[in-house]
Amino acid sequence: MKILVPVKRVVDYNVKVRVKSDGTGVETAGVKMSMNPFDEIGVEEAVRLKEKGVASEIIAVSLGLPACAETIRTALAMGADRGILVETDVDLQPLAVAKLLAAIAAKEQPGLIILGKQAIDDDMSATGPMLAALLGWPQGTFASKVTVEDGKLLVTREVDGGLESVSLNLPAIITTDLRLNEPRYASLPNIMKARKKPIETVKPADLGVDPAPRLTVVSVAEPPKRQAGVKVGSVAELVSKLKNEAKVI
Amino acid sequence: MMFELAEEHRMLKDLVAKFVDQELIPLEPAALARETRGEKMGLSHDEEARLHAKCKELGLWGLDVPEQFGGANLPAVALMAVNEELGRTCIPFFFPPDSPNLHMLMAACNEDQKQRYMLPYASGDKKSAIAISEPGAGGDPSGMTTRAVKDGDEWVINGRKIWVSRVPQVDFTIVMARVGEGKRHEGITAFLVDKGTPGFIIEREIPMIGGQRTYELVFDNLRLPDAQVLGTIGQGFAPMQLRLTVRRLQMGAWCTGMAVRALDMMISQAKQRTTFGVKLSDRQAVQWWIADAATRIHACRLMVLHAAAKQDSGGDVRTEASMVKLVATELAQDVIDHAMQTFGAMGMTRELPLQMMMQKVRTMRIYEGPSEVHRMVIARRLIDGRK
Ligand SMILES: Cc1cc2nc3c(=O)[nH]c(=O)nc-3n(C[C@H](O)[C@H](O)[C@H](O)COP(=O)(O)OP(=O)(O)OC[C@H]3O[C@@H](n4cnc5c(N)ncnc54)[C@H](O)[C@@H]3O)c2cc1C
Repeated sequence: MKILVPVKRVVDYNVKVRVKSDGTGVETAGVKMSMNPFDEIGVEEAVRLKEKGVASEIIAVSLGLPACAETIRTALAMGADRGILVETDVDLQPLAVAKLLAAIAAKEQPGLIILGKQAIDDDMSATGPMLAALLGWPQGTFASKVTVEDGKLLVTREVDGGLESVSLNLPAIITTDLRLNEPRYASLPNIMKARKKPIETVKPADLGVDPAPRLTVVSVAEPPKRQAGVKVGSVAELVSKLKNEAKVI
Repeated sequence: MMFELAEEHRMLKDLVAKFVDQELIPLEPAALARETRGEKMGLSHDEEARLHAKCKELGLWGLDVPEQFGGANLPAVALMAVNEELGRTCIPFFFPPDSPNLHMLMAACNEDQKQRYMLPYASGDKKSAIAISEPGAGGDPSGMTTRAVKDGDEWVINGRKIWVSRVPQVDFTIVMARVGEGKRHEGITAFLVDKGTPGFIIEREIPMIGGQRTYELVFDNLRLPDAQVLGTIGQGFAPMQLRLTVRRLQMGAWCTGMAVRALDMMISQAKQRTTFGVKLSDRQAVQWWIADAATRIHACRLMVLHAAAKQDSGGDVRTEASMVKLVATELAQDVIDHAMQTFGAMGMTRELPLQMMMQKVRTMRIYEGPSEVHRMVIARRLIDGRK
């Protein structure tokens, strides 16, 4: 079974994101970029399935600017076998990504696609479910445990208030949650091996997909700064302030 | 001209950064507490064994060892990226083997010595020290007076060395001694001395700042067969110089990393601490420390990478190595000092790594040649090169 693992290049989780001064987006120039942490978990899960003999080949896919090849290279160093870069300078939105991935899935015929439950840049949490809908495949989102038994995929999902177990027919879609696994370090020998692994570059047009944005970003703003609180001297003062200033009681 | 690390070297740097953050920095509080109690600050045998196992698993081993000897054969630029990351912690740790003696052994070993010393050293199975400095000749090692005299098939060494690091933990020491009546570089010869060789006496242990220890050695009719001469008799200065150059570049990278850590700590503290109703990060005095630190770190990193790239392409980098060693140690010293100042009394505690980094960098302005000696060397090359 082939596993397809989409990996997104995002602003590193350690960087404090800054909004561009013209409000059109967040600043990415000169900022450290890394693989979306949920996608790292996806690569790790795929590598573990390969180590268990469940998977035969892992294909890492990234979509966007040529620099996304670096994110693919990281996946290759973790253990993916080859990469596909869908190169475009169009601002890719979840539906476009899902359509492009669906086109790659039609070509590669993977038994499983493992995505992150969300990307830490825009937190849309949309690509996985959209891809499942486009392909008509079952999906196990927010996965915290994955096992393959008798050609079925057992997925434990983290839902509000507990865990839900679902059994899916293959091919299927998984989106990863934080607790699914702890991604490994890419070792030096594997970093060196990754240099020789192939990355194929394709354009959206080659896949017959128009990636043009369907949504318009009106403006991007930082969350409003919270006003400093005040210390009250007594309960009476608190009650009076709640009544007369905050007007909540 | 490219000023960026290759992709795989950037990935290696990320790997080492993770290793430092997750494996080494967490060991700092315990190591600093040990040092405060007057115990050895270095890692325990168990800690080191655990880290070494992890390093082997990650392939962080033999980084600059040639492939035919089982290493990763990385160029100096990649080693600089690795050492910058290692510099961010005050935990004394490196990925075996330590580079300087490796390069000296590779340059000078004959076939038999390759088997007996270089290969076990390259694989990390044997450790080594080097004894150059003497009570009367430190910054100017060509004034050394330890002598080796031929007696039949053997060499007999008499003399004294001082400030030699690591001696009791190592399997062999490279001892520099003079053969014949020559002056300055003339006659300087390297010898391989196994641990426990009669006449090789560890006179005393000298506690140093920075959690370090050095040793004074006495050679009392230390007898060695011809097979222990490393390289050509009388031509020991050049391979020793190569070794010093490797260490100086490495120190440039370490110091860059030390400054990076100190700057990082300085910024977090400045953003957090309010005095007189104003955040320290809003004070120009602190902002200038931050700006100057970042600017000098950038300059120093480029100097280190340039020298390493030049060395990788076969260039002579002795002058650059002097410049790098000088700039980097003084940079780290200043940035750590400003970070300590930003932390106020907290910066004076023995619980923070800053004071340990400060002690270390203080010793680094002396060993591998004091700053003043490097300034002299740089100036001399410039002055002598003028018609
Ligand atoms: C922690 C540590 C570890 C060490 N490990 C080793 C080791 O493993 N093996 C080894 O062989 N040695 C080792 N050394 C010794 C080290 O290399 C010498 O201490 C160093 O070279 C300086 O020599 P010195 O101490 O004799 O100082 P000196 O040469 O006496 O110099 C003292 C001071 O005089 C001034 N000075 C000297 N020359 C000049 C000049 N030309 N112009 C202007 N000013 C000058 C400088 O300010 C200098 O700091 C170590 C030292 C330390 C501190």
